[in-house]
Amino acid sequence: MLLAVMLLAAGCGGSGSGKLTVFAASSLTEVFQQLAPGTRFEFAGSDTLATQLRDGARADLYAAASTKYPGELYAEGLVEKPVVFATNRLVLIVPADDPAGISSVSDLRRPGIRLVIGAEGVPVGDYTRKALEQLGETGALARVVSEEQDVKGIVSKVALGEADAGFVYATDVRPVAGEIQAIELPAAVQTRALYSVAVVTGAEHRQGAERFLRLLRSERGRAALRDAGFGLP
Amino acid sequence: MRRLFDLGLALALGIALAFLLLPILALFLRVSPGTLFAQLGSGVARDALWVSVKTGLIAHAFVVGLGTPAAYLLGTRRFRGRQLLLTAIELPLVLPPAVAGIALIAVFGRRGLLGGTLEAAGVTVSLTQAAVVLAVAFVASPFYLRQAVEAFAAVDRTLLDASRTLGAGSFRTFRRVALPLAAGGLGAGSVLAWARGTGEFGATIMFAGSLRGQTQTLPLAIYAQLDQDQTVAIAIGALLVLVSLVVLLSVKLLPSWTRFSSGWPTPFARSASR
Repeated sequence: MLLAVMLLAAGCGGSGSGKLTVFAASSLTEVFQQLAPGTRFEFAGSDTLATQLRDGARADLYAAASTKYPGELYAEGLVEKPVVFATNRLVLIVPADDPAGISSVSDLRRPGIRLVIGAEGVPVGDYTRKALEQLGETGALARVVSEEQDVKGIVSKVALGEADAGFVYATDVRPVAGEIQAIELPAAVQTRALYSVAVVTGAEHRQGAERFLRLLRSERGRAALRDAGFGLP
Repeated sequence: MRRLFDLGLALALGIALAFLLLPILALFLRVSPGTLFAQLGSGVARDALWVSVKTGLIAHAFVVGLGTPAAYLLGTRRFRGRQLLLTAIELPLVLPPAVAGIALIAVFGRRGLLGGTLEAAGVTVSLTQAAVVLAVAFVASPFYLRQAVEAFAAVDRTLLDASRTLGAGSFRTFRRVALPLAAGGLGAGSVLAWARGTGEFGATIMFAGSLRGQTQTLPLAIYAQLDQDQTVAIAIGALLVLVSLVVLLSVKLLPSWTRFSSGWPTPFARSASR
């Protein structure tokens, strides 16, 4: 009977389903769904997904918003050699009506500004800290009112107007373009987020995973990525 | 035949117990007790504990302070629409936490119903510690209210009437008769509400955000540490399990405890506590 219950639960888990399972960074949500509608996607923070893969979660492909986690997993033998397939850049976002009157990163220094960024260890949070260092604007960190575990948490708090500003990827702006404004960072910011993808070792749907990889690097895949605001390597 | 049936029952119980307790046991097996204690001393865990205790205490003061008189009214008076009110109070119990978060933003957010007024007065609630207090109070108070209404409703009406006949005013009757008689139920409700408040996650992360030392409560710290340092996350998790266990035990033991130690050993109290 216990076996029966477990089988039922496993059926609900869907790990045994015949579908390709792709673990991907939250920021890839729109473009991946558009590229391969029939695929089973799990979108979350790249670091969260890495944790799940280490804990034995079954997936065929892992696409992260950094090279760090795929690199670590590669070293641990959990994924095959990762390749960079897209790049992203950081932007400063403010609510559409910009209640705090922010027009550049240096405005973030003003007292009373409510800034939301990614937590340390979350790629967008690490890129943000690096960018602020390069700009000599680490004073902005004193205005942080919340450190989020993924990009969606940052976007939603700014779009709702609860935060005055946040740092996210350029590609995160498009889906909520009506509710937020994006401010480009000065050219002095050298950090570019590198997105890398790897086939999971022992993938159940190896062929499907490789097909998805080819699709990503094909003309169609590159066009979709470009349209979504990604840079190409 | 009978024996087979009993065997089936025992098997069902065994599976249910294994299903409920195995995950909790596994949590403790994952990290040795030594590391567990060491990790609890980590800065993140300590900061989160402090935020949880502080916001919990403030929220609890509101919940009990306002909830007790409100529950007394609902528990001892009969009026039209009472059932409706009782149901409305329980709504937050079944509300998904994310909905609670959005609802709180819709009221107290900067663009919320009251947010504009608060903002004009120079007060911003969302993404601050005050938001944690509100989120905790919002999800925890139904637990206290429900239990308190029941406790007051169970107090024998003739005792309240007798107290007033003997010359005690309404407030004195509430304080000296109703409150001591309902103490067991109130205590149990208070502990349950505290436990639910301590575990609050969904509404807090949406409405209050997560900042170490400010708004990062124990459950939020678990979430944040899960991809940073899993042993810290597991240690905090284990701590919450232990706290829950204490809570559960005290709820089970409270009613019998107050019967003996209630400070008002009146003949009324004895006859009513049955």
